[in-house]
Amino acid sequence: MAMSKSVRQALGLTGHYAGLIAFAIFTTFPFVWALCSGLSVDASKMYTFPAGFWPHEPSFMWFERVFQEMPFLTYLKNSTIMSFFTIIGVVAISVLAGYPLARMKFPGRGLIFVAIIATMMLPSEVGIVPNFITLKHFGDFGNWIQESIGLGSDWNMRAWIGLDSYFGAIVPNFAGAFGIFLMKQAFEAIPQDLIDAARVDGATEMQILWKVMVPVTAPSIAALAIFTLVNAWNDYLWPSIVMTSKEKLPLAVGVFNDLTGPFATSDNILMAAIVMTVVPVLVFFAFTQRYFISGMDGAVK
Amino acid sequence: MKNSSSYTAVAYLFLAPALILMAIFTFWPVGYNTYLAFQDYAIADGTATWNDFAHFKYIYEEELFHSALKNSLLYLLVVPCIQLAALVIAKLVNNKLPGMTFFRATYYIPVITAISVAGVAWAFVYKYDGMLNGFLTWIGHALGMLQGEFTRVEIDWIGNPDIAIYSVMVFTFWKGLGYYMVLYLAGLQAIPAEVEEAAILDGANAWDRFWKITVPMVKPTILLCTLLSTIAAMKAFQEVIVLTKGQSDTYTALFYVYDQAFRNYNFGRAAAAGLVVTFFCMILAIIQFRFFGDKK
Repeated sequence: MAMSKSVRQALGLTGHYAGLIAFAIFTTFPFVWALCSGLSVDASKMYTFPAGFWPHEPSFMWFERVFQEMPFLTYLKNSTIMSFFTIIGVVAISVLAGYPLARMKFPGRGLIFVAIIATMMLPSEVGIVPNFITLKHFGDFGNWIQESIGLGSDWNMRAWIGLDSYFGAIVPNFAGAFGIFLMKQAFEAIPQDLIDAARVDGATEMQILWKVMVPVTAPSIAALAIFTLVNAWNDYLWPSIVMTSKEKLPLAVGVFNDLTGPFATSDNILMAAIVMTVVPVLVFFAFTQRYFISGMDGAVK
Repeated sequence: MKNSSSYTAVAYLFLAPALILMAIFTFWPVGYNTYLAFQDYAIADGTATWNDFAHFKYIYEEELFHSALKNSLLYLLVVPCIQLAALVIAKLVNNKLPGMTFFRATYYIPVITAISVAGVAWAFVYKYDGMLNGFLTWIGHALGMLQGEFTRVEIDWIGNPDIAIYSVMVFTFWKGLGYYMVLYLAGLQAIPAEVEEAAILDGANAWDRFWKITVPMVKPTILLCTLLSTIAAMKAFQEVIVLTKGQSDTYTALFYVYDQAFRNYNFGRAAAAGLVVTFFCMILAIIQFRFFGDKK
């Protein structure tokens, strides 16, 4: 049957957008629902469809209650501190390690690179038990230093580097194959002339790295920093194992514990808390989303 | 060229922080985990004693570990579903129509939210008086299948042992879809537009174009994504922690490891189970590297 071309095109386009919208509903409905329930004073319609997807008597009352019922700002502060230092650590280590792997010739380079890439295949979760024990020893070591140099027990150095420390929660994530690989790829794309010119001028390797390579690879470094921020901000498992004191928990762990713990009161507060945890990430993502696509692109190649 | 031994020293100096941290937190755990698997580890004083394969004998017999392994293998069902859906979505957003940036970002949202918080939201969707049942009730009434104004569908999606593991798998599907979409998008953008235009001129319909042009041309990406998502499926267990805590038959292999270590504090047995999981992951990786081998 002959259908006119424009009708067929319009039908195709409608189908196309219908598919897109269906998937968009699937990926966002839990958060849209959480937002509507968090805004509704009246909780009775929360679990009915379609009424649950519309705020009833909208107000911010549940959001204010979140601040009273859980130390939200403390968690926010912890997440910020931990993410900040994780980014510094990951970027510094990946840049330093990526440069010699990409642009220097030295014995053992191939072996080291293969060893680093091979760690991507290991189920890293199996390392949680040994790392837990290692950090316990770190804590004992801190305590031993403190006693040997005769500092008072109020220094409590065990809590600096052992279990239940910011150090313990973030340092195991510093050296990752992904970051090193991403920076190596970025450094390899830089023309050799640039490095040769700097060498002729008598620059040391550190100066080449810092003054030539880092400025030129800024987009890759930004992509790495953004990926690291999202991973660190959302990291749940390891901090939930290492951190035991409530005032050191990051958002992903603290909010989860409070939401599912014995003090969980009203479902609407939970929904408001979910929204408040997700929103910072979404705002950040809205400004940086093009890096996610381009950064992944670089890593795939 | 400068003095070569100092040059090598500089290279190793640059690599030192990464190598030291990886040695402590990545390579050492592999060795220590293997050692622990054959020991009884006392958590109080940190002593370990050889126990003549007792952990392996124990988990070989244990029903719970068997069901955990079975669930982990069942979890591989997520792989084909997520790959096909991600490829279809990538195809839908890979054009210059208005609003594509918005849709791409929307599909990526589950990837960038913390698994713990997303899990809480889904637990509310899944519970017996939750939103999913509310939605099904609405459909039931609309189709006239439910009698009486106040009847509701009451399926306990994460409490019923027969279906709980599948509900957890749907959550994994939801969480991972955007990640693979972006990888496929990168693959699709490498296909020249002329190929598809030529096929349209030849009168090929969308279905044929998808299976005969798109799929063969992104084959390398499909292999990469399949490898990634297979390993991810074998390792799935954070979903279980946040949704069911292992209740109603949802133990996966790594959840068993976690559970033995941090609830029973039996580090040796956890290590032994972890070793078995590592072994399975290695086998899967090797099988898939055979596929890759042809490509390179």
